[in-house]
Amino acid sequence: MLRDFFLLAAQSIAHRRLRSWLTVIGVFIGITAVVALISIGLGLERTINEQVAKVFGVDTFMLVPEGAFGPRGARKETFEVDLGIVGRVPGVRTVAAVRQETGFVVGPPRPGGNRVQGFLPVMGLSPELVTDFEAFLGEIELRPGGRFFEPSDVDAAILGAGIAARLGAGLGDAIQVEEREFTVVGVIAEAEAETAAQRGGGFQGGLGPDADTVYVPFDTMYALYGPADDVLVSLVRTVAGADVDDVADRVEEVLREAGSKVDSVTYSDVSDAIGTVTSTVSAFLAGIAGISLLVGGVGVMNTMFTSVLERTKEIGVMKAVGARNGHILAIFLIESGLMGLVGGVVGTLLGLGVSAVASRFVARFFNVDLAVVASPSLIAITLVGSFALGAVAGLWPARRAAKLPVVDALRYE
Amino acid sequence: MPLLELRAVTKEYPLGKTIVRALRGLDLSVDAGEVVAIMGPSGSGKSTLMHILGALDRPSGGAARLDGNDLSSLKERELARLRGRRVGFIFQTFNLIPTLNARQNVELPMIFQGVRSGERAARAKGLLARVGLADRVRHKPNELSGGERQRVAIARALANDPEIILADEPTGNLDSETGGTILQLLQELSRADGKTVILVTHDPDAAAIAGRIVRLRDGCIREEVKNA
Repeated sequence: MLRDFFLLAAQSIAHRRLRSWLTVIGVFIGITAVVALISIGLGLERTINEQVAKVFGVDTFMLVPEGAFGPRGARKETFEVDLGIVGRVPGVRTVAAVRQETGFVVGPPRPGGNRVQGFLPVMGLSPELVTDFEAFLGEIELRPGGRFFEPSDVDAAILGAGIAARLGAGLGDAIQVEEREFTVVGVIAEAEAETAAQRGGGFQGGLGPDADTVYVPFDTMYALYGPADDVLVSLVRTVAGADVDDVADRVEEVLREAGSKVDSVTYSDVSDAIGTVTSTVSAFLAGIAGISLLVGGVGVMNTMFTSVLERTKEIGVMKAVGARNGHILAIFLIESGLMGLVGGVVGTLLGLGVSAVASRFVARFFNVDLAVVASPSLIAITLVGSFALGAVAGLWPARRAAKLPVVDALRYE
Repeated sequence: MPLLELRAVTKEYPLGKTIVRALRGLDLSVDAGEVVAIMGPSGSGKSTLMHILGALDRPSGGAARLDGNDLSSLKERELARLRGRRVGFIFQTFNLIPTLNARQNVELPMIFQGVRSGERAARAKGLLARVGLADRVRHKPNELSGGERQRVAIARALANDPEIILADEPTGNLDSETGGTILQLLQELSRADGKTVILVTHDPDAAAIAGRIVRLRDGCIREEVKNA
């Protein structure tokens, strides 16, 4: 019987083609907006997660100052960490860190005997940042002949392009940092700072090569400044098969016992945080788009009221030949639901199209590959939802149709 | 026991600020297989009487029984079932559903009784063939002449094989020749199938096929005559 009611409703919609299409347009504009916004939101989340996974790695976690990864931010931007303690925690494979001080730097002797000197940022980098966490720093391009730190390096330095020029130092020259002598093993290529900044994103934020910084091996920072509260970030990679969150908890605990106030940030923490932000934004945008859905629903209701009025006599005839109130209600609800569903199908296709166009636009103008997400659950929910929207909008007119007294309906002219 | 029985039936309904007394204590019995014509001037209560006989409406007072079922005590869904199974309606303006073709129109009453689609289609085709429209099965009402539409309506009235056929001015919108064909069909339903046919009509030719003529005036039966 339900199948017959669907056919009756579909025939009625087809009979009033123009009006039905106009109603459907009202619905699909709203659905298009909702689907496009949700799809773009999901695409954004997936893209960001992929980027995070690429830079961060699912087997890696970060140590940051206590409270830094949260809505309120940290009171401090640096912290103290003993990498030796971290390295001994079961499940840890590699550990690396970055610490920064301002140091007194003296350049090599210039022709004439004088040296350039001054206070400059001195950054300690673990050699593992390049061997194990290459995506974290990005690709560092050094001038020909230069090299990055090796684990055996102690008094080796890498200079930013700008500071190399100002100090008048080149490969193989000796410079002093805090009166300790270092040999320049690499100079960062000029264009590097710019391209790194352009690459943006990820966790390079401010830690990428800087033209005015002197880089030394991380362990050498102990010789220069001792253990100090100046670590910007520490990265820990776990052994294969280890539960990253468990290892992160253990490291956090061990460091806290040792007096370091740190928080661990795992991939799932970052992913959750991104998910929360993107879902909130998506929900907000979809909510705004939902207003147009409401307008579409009112359109369906209006069409159905007109339809009920026009077909009053028809309703009377159907009741005279044995239709119960429930049958009439079902026929009209299905009719309005079908209009919603057609709007949903068209709107979903258009919405996904809009999101694909948006993705191309973003790829072209912002150089980011935004994923197009056509998730089956999104499509299913939209289609069921659009049928429900139509049916709910048609409920009032359908009830009115069902309750028409048969004699009055038959007399209606 | 008569198939249809009305005892002291009254029907009143509000019209604006006044109360219209459409039926004023009417007694009528119709036996199975009878052909009864109900005649009378406009406003005499013919249509109201037909609505009550067809279980489309309940009386305000008195008792109306269809095969012993008191219509006043039945719920709306029970009245709908009664109409669907035991009564077939034929209207002056045909009242076919314009979006459905002839066969679908005939199938409509069967849909509401839950008849399966295969059986429905076969029965609808058989009924349309019986009223001479075997070649018009797929035509929509606007592609049919007045006489053809009324024949589709007769086929629809017979869809669930009801005992009672109620025809409200069935020839009112037809020329006399076409009207004659329709009347023949109705007469045949009584003679061949034993249906009870109740005709509401102004047309003396239509009344001529009835075995009994009931004349109404001001909501009461003025005269009841047997046709020879």
